[in-house]
Amino acid sequence: MAEKWIPAGRPPRWCVMLRALTMLIVLLTGSVAFAGSLGEEASEPPAGDEPAMAEASDPFDPFDQGGEDVFEDEDEASQAVADPMEGFNRAMFTVNDKLYFWVLKPAASGYRFVVPTPVRSSVKNFFFNLLGPVRFVNCLFQGKWRAAEGEFCRFTVNTTVGMLGFFDPAKDNPKMNPHEEDFGQTLGYYAIGNGCYIVWPLFGPSTLRDTVGGVGDWALNPFSFMKLVNVDAGALTSDTTNVAMYCVRTVNDVSFRIGDYEALKNAALDPYEAFRNAYIQNRNSKIAQ
Amino acid sequence: MRRRLLACILMLAVLGIGPAAAAFTEPMAVIKAPIDEVIELLNDPQYKEAGTEQAQRNAIWQIVRPMFDFEEISRRAVARNWNRFTDAEKKAFVDVFAQFLGNTYIDKIQGEYHNEKIVYLGQEILQEVYAEVKTQIVRETVEIPVNYRMRKYEEGQWRVYDIIVEGVSLVKNYRTQFASILKKKRPSQLIDQLNEKLTEQNQRLVGSGQD
Repeated sequence: MAEKWIPAGRPPRWCVMLRALTMLIVLLTGSVAFAGSLGEEASEPPAGDEPAMAEASDPFDPFDQGGEDVFEDEDEASQAVADPMEGFNRAMFTVNDKLYFWVLKPAASGYRFVVPTPVRSSVKNFFFNLLGPVRFVNCLFQGKWRAAEGEFCRFTVNTTVGMLGFFDPAKDNPKMNPHEEDFGQTLGYYAIGNGCYIVWPLFGPSTLRDTVGGVGDWALNPFSFMKLVNVDAGALTSDTTNVAMYCVRTVNDVSFRIGDYEALKNAALDPYEAFRNAYIQNRNSKIAQ
Repeated sequence: MRRRLLACILMLAVLGIGPAAAAFTEPMAVIKAPIDEVIELLNDPQYKEAGTEQAQRNAIWQIVRPMFDFEEISRRAVARNWNRFTDAEKKAFVDVFAQFLGNTYIDKIQGEYHNEKIVYLGQEILQEVYAEVKTQIVRETVEIPVNYRMRKYEEGQWRVYDIIVEGVSLVKNYRTQFASILKKKRPSQLIDQLNEKLTEQNQRLVGSGQD
């Protein structure tokens, strides 16, 4: 919660430089600029949260920053996302749904049955730690120094004491557990809108902005980074390893969350719309943190 | 000296108000008590036997229902379209939506309770009548943030009007769905649609109870 106010401080020169750098990156990826113009107004809420003085009976929620009234359009605007490819997206939603029930869920259930929880936790910790540098860099991009420090310390501690990250000795230290940042959030932090909503086959819901973010994060993950800068680490940088690792990570992650997708889907009148809205709300809340 | 006097007055004020305030239940306690009860029910060996699912579901519903203000939830979810509902439709909608939500989520926790722990992180009160209670569901190594937004009523009772799971507001999620349905359909048709979902759900629950 306190995190939210950190970026408000305007620390000195190199923060500005970093911002400039980020903006440059953003401009270079021309599609994002396009995304910004396509998307709705920046959903960044006003800094102060003075709740509007509404009648007690009005359905207004003081915990929403800006304290808007639901009878006005603003609220929907912050959650609305352009969906010009709805036909394609709905088709992909169905494809992913089938993939979940036919492939991912059976795989994750079987895996869960065979592999004991401590091992699954360790695998989860390992991948989480492996992506620590990505989160660290995104904290820096957003000028969240304290969070960056936390990421750095956790990565150091967990890679060494935690044996390459299979264990998480930093778990109980709140300073070493900042909010997770990714490049999509970094772009959102600089008020880049979602662009349009895209459902990728296999990868699931995303937006134009978050897709660009995903590519950025992919480039920053240690193995692809080595590959990009032409470090040949043999099997470590091979495509097969990359794909295999992605699969293991996905199955392992899902093994902790079997049933969640079904629950949200069953609770919806229009699952496609429910997931689209949930995706946007979830991303907005992460950007606000 | 003056500061100490002020402190004394403050102390007195706090002490004086303390007992009176205790008569009204704290928002977090309003969440915690029923959740503890539900977890107890989920672990109750009495309900481990086959054929007791329905009884357990009813017992959970009895505990959970008073926690929520379903009228407020409905009003917020339907938002500006609420004015299009007649009084009878409003009542019918609140009824069916409450049952639908109850069924969906009780089904979920009943079917998949694996000793998840609930951590109560804290509460925030705004304008004296709005509160947000922050909790976390801890499942193995996964932590799922769940925030309860509540309102205080004249009788001093706090009740939930929205649940935010991982930053996703339940009310707002339904709001977009209801809005797009009500763009093309009448309120009575939305109520019918919910009723259909509910029947479908009940059939599935009964079906799963039998095998």
